[in-house]
Amino acid sequence: MTNLLEVQHLEKSFGEHQVLKDINLQVEPGEVLSIIGSSGSGKSTLLRCINLLEQPTSGTINFHGDNILATKFDVATYRAKVGMVFQSFNLFNNLNVLQNCVVGQTTVLHRNVIAARKTALEQLAKVGMTPYVNAKPAQLSGGQMQRVGIARAVSMNPEILLFDEPTSALDPEMVDDVLDSMRALAHTGLTMILVTHEMAFARDISDHVVFMDLGVIAEEGTAEEIFSHPQEARTQEFLKRYLNRV
Amino acid sequence: MHQRRNLLIFLGMLFFTLLTVPTVTSHAADETFKVGMEAGYPPFNWTQNDASNGAVKIQGTSTYAGGYDVQMAKKVAKSLGKKLVIVKTEWDGLSPALTSGKIDAIIAGMSPTPQRRKAIDFTDTYYKSQLVVIVRKDGKFTNAKSLKDFKNAKLTGQLNTFHYTALDQIKGAIKEPAMKDFPSMRVALESGTIDGYVSEKPEGISVTNADPNVKMIELKGNNGFKTNPEDTDLAIGVRKGDADKLKIDHALAKISQSQRDDLMDQAVAQQPQSGNKQENWFIAIFQQYGGMLLRGTGVTLLISMVGTIVGFMIGLLIGILRTIPKTGSVLRRTCLKVVDWLLSVYIEVFRGTPMIVQAAVLYYGAAQAFGWNMDRLVAALLIVSINTGAYLAEIMRGGIMSVDDGQFEAAHALGMTHLQTMFKIILPQAIRNSLPAVTNEFVINIKDTSVLSIISVSELFFSGSTIAGQNFQFFHTYLVICLIYLVLTFTITRILRFVERKMDGPQNYNLMANQDQVTTPTAS
Repeated sequence: MTNLLEVQHLEKSFGEHQVLKDINLQVEPGEVLSIIGSSGSGKSTLLRCINLLEQPTSGTINFHGDNILATKFDVATYRAKVGMVFQSFNLFNNLNVLQNCVVGQTTVLHRNVIAARKTALEQLAKVGMTPYVNAKPAQLSGGQMQRVGIARAVSMNPEILLFDEPTSALDPEMVDDVLDSMRALAHTGLTMILVTHEMAFARDISDHVVFMDLGVIAEEGTAEEIFSHPQEARTQEFLKRYLNRV
Repeated sequence: MHQRRNLLIFLGMLFFTLLTVPTVTSHAADETFKVGMEAGYPPFNWTQNDASNGAVKIQGTSTYAGGYDVQMAKKVAKSLGKKLVIVKTEWDGLSPALTSGKIDAIIAGMSPTPQRRKAIDFTDTYYKSQLVVIVRKDGKFTNAKSLKDFKNAKLTGQLNTFHYTALDQIKGAIKEPAMKDFPSMRVALESGTIDGYVSEKPEGISVTNADPNVKMIELKGNNGFKTNPEDTDLAIGVRKGDADKLKIDHALAKISQSQRDDLMDQAVAQQPQSGNKQENWFIAIFQQYGGMLLRGTGVTLLISMVGTIVGFMIGLLIGILRTIPKTGSVLRRTCLKVVDWLLSVYIEVFRGTPMIVQAAVLYYGAAQAFGWNMDRLVAALLIVSINTGAYLAEIMRGGIMSVDDGQFEAAHALGMTHLQTMFKIILPQAIRNSLPAVTNEFVINIKDTSVLSIISVSELFFSGSTIAGQNFQFFHTYLVICLIYLVLTFTITRILRFVERKMDGPQNYNLMANQDQVTTPTAS
């Protein structure tokens, strides 16, 4: 089996503070991987290391077998293949909805404007944002902005899509719209890595689940294994807290 | 001070060479005799609009200089066998203009004081004068007969002249701060902020002829000022060691005292009068000086607009350079740090010194240190651009930093490079956010170009001072100037507000029922 993404002995420190310790992870093509754990466990940092928004302190990350941390590696081209959806949406405020989904395609992938717009409109239609193509981000609700964020990332035709707590900043009634869009994407066979606090959703769509605690992977397995038969005491403790709350 | 001046000159030169193709001409020995004067000190020298009464065109303008000094200059130039060129220069700029070679002689009613002799040489006397006090006819001191009668009078004199130091001889007088030129003192007298000013007899005769409300007090013998012949004698200033000095002395010797008196009488008779048939002063000013006001407005607008646009580009460039992330190889980081440091120096120096000083240092400094004789307008454009750049650099940096990090990250996550991120995403927002500050800077520039009168750029304020020096209607003239400034700044503010709204796009968006309706222009 060839892995699309392979993380080996990854470490990340901010000054004295070690956030990630000896992380090992494999992602196969078409797989949906969920990373769960309490706040401060290093989930988001791990995700940000994968597309190099954070520079790892040591270890290797291989994409199609190439080490992305090598000095001559073409980071921009790699990032174009690894989409990212942010917790705080991070839409470009100077551009309208359609332009947000077009600018990456024309600038990075050098697609012509007509083709880029066609792709963008297809993706915006899938997340139900067609009526708002002329709107500026400031004129949208949080749920709408996040759906545009997803369309923007998918318009680049990425090989992997990373989600960094995509629903954490949303009002509860908007969460479902965004989760529906993500679910639809998962069904297309797109490889996804997902950092989330939506346990029911993670259980529903994940092929593989990683539980992180204090910067290490405490337990991993299939969704069934982690959610129904957690082995580690801290996994059980975490799930108990979360499931009670929900 | 000296070090800072050198640094300023150096930086000025650096940016000069970086930014523009220098339009400089070396001052090779040519057959012109360039004479500097204020052209605002009748009857010695004044500005007029035509060539009547033997007036000579003022270099770089469409106005003419007339007066006793001009007639003297013509005689001297003739005996030197050279073509006379009149360069209108502020009083304080005369000495540096001479030493830096922008002019060949000062004929401006200047006395050969020992202090001035340290910097420049003087020829023999070309006029001998006497100190007088100018007061209001209806004022308290109108009947003064001796210096003692000026007890408790608020008096002043022109800056850097012996007129002002002579005030110390009046016991009990209140010595007001010195003023920069005669028009200012006449305004002060008219408004009552001073009771009188010390002047010399010819200027006194002129002002009493032109303005019926003032009176010249002549003080005879022991009742008057004790003056040094070096002060009351007027001589021609030349560069130290100038070979022409002897020739000029020779030429002056040939002009007899009676000829000199005749010339002075003519000058007093010919000087500009305030008499105007038009009843409405507002219309009169526009009728008589409309062209000069229009040109002044044009120059002010040109300098402030070019200065703001070029300054904006400098600011933008520096803002981009200073926000490049300092990552990567050691060499790259070091280079970025050095560039950052140099830019900080530029910003600190040009933000931390007055524009009037920068203009004087660049314009006269360039000539004195490097022999560069740059055009006044070029120097003005340069100074305003560099100065504005220093202010806007920080504003642009702030504008860039005001865009949240999330948008940088999102752009990087899409695979954009730092430059692509800047141009597609960050700068459009940074520019939009800093537009109110740029508008502000534009308005400041329109007003602050008035300080460029130090290098004799004929912008609006300079034109206004010239007009006031001719028509003696100080309040009215400055009121007109004031109005023009207000119209300029108000219009500019409205235009830029409109641009802001354009950049913001429509307040509302149209809901699109299906994809076929989408006609939005796309980015890039």
